[in-house]
Amino acid sequence: MTRVTWRRELTWAVGLLGLAVILGFMFHWSLVQASLRGKLTVLLDQKRQERREMQFPGVRTLDLAQAHQIWQEKQALFVDARKAAEYQKLHIQGAVNLLPETWALSSSELMKLDRRRELVVYCTQKSCDDAFKLAKKLQAAGFSRVVVFTGGFRAWHEAGYPADPSR
Amino acid sequence: MRFVYSAVGIVLGGLFVYAGVQKHLAPYDFAEAVMGYQLLPQSLTGLTVAILPWLEMVSGVALILGVLPLKRLVINRFPVGTLLRRSALLLILGQSLLFVAVLLITIARGLEIDCGCSLFVQRQVGPAAIVEDGVFLLLTGLLYWRERRVQSD
Repeated sequence: MTRVTWRRELTWAVGLLGLAVILGFMFHWSLVQASLRGKLTVLLDQKRQERREMQFPGVRTLDLAQAHQIWQEKQALFVDARKAAEYQKLHIQGAVNLLPETWALSSSELMKLDRRRELVVYCTQKSCDDAFKLAKKLQAAGFSRVVVFTGGFRAWHEAGYPADPSR
Repeated sequence: MRFVYSAVGIVLGGLFVYAGVQKHLAPYDFAEAVMGYQLLPQSLTGLTVAILPWLEMVSGVALILGVLPLKRLVINRFPVGTLLRRSALLLILGQSLLFVAVLLITIARGLEIDCGCSLFVQRQVGPAAIVEDGVFLLLTGLLYWRERRVQSD
């Protein structure tokens, strides 16, 4: 029987890698094309928006400029949907922390608020869904003016807008 | 003992197939996770998102086939089963090394991002993800070492 050498093993490994490349190109050619043309971010934004429209219907969104304007007007309460450790490190000035997973346990303070109060919910960055999950729960609890700041804390922080290390 | 090594091989192969299928079925989520690492330019991100899930699936399937149904398959004096098994182990070893390196670089850079590598629960880049990949690395290394030892005996 032919002896199995290092060279043979590597040749077969390269063959399997080649098979993976062919299958990857076959199944995800549009994604490869978009990335080679430098349009991957645009494609991802579009796909994310399509998915959210299906998954979280009826949730309004804000961009960075709109969120900052509302924050300056001090009309809305900002709700941070990130983990407690991240919130304690740094969060949008004046924001309260509320996680979608522990909503039932930690929302008692918020439930005392007027249901017509405007709430701006945010999470880490534009790709996270926690703000949308929390927004749906707040809407279900009767809050009629809930919006999601899609840029999240990363966009706020990168813009140099006011942030606090603790409540 | 042979049974234990076979079982480890099948579980390892199965986990890689499962991880690959998950990523293949949610390519845009996976692309966002890869972009979160901020290691690759856009052009290479697309290639990684297309190829990596299939590499996981192909190497996982090859390992399972080499451990079980094709273990002793020989064609024209070529030990196909052994070659499948060993080449799959080499690929899994390479992927595990790459994952651990990327996780370590990300932790060193202080990025707090979703790892995009979780098998059953979503989690951030951190010690748990490194331990998981470290276990894969150890098991794969063990299986490969045994393969070579059996040949030299």
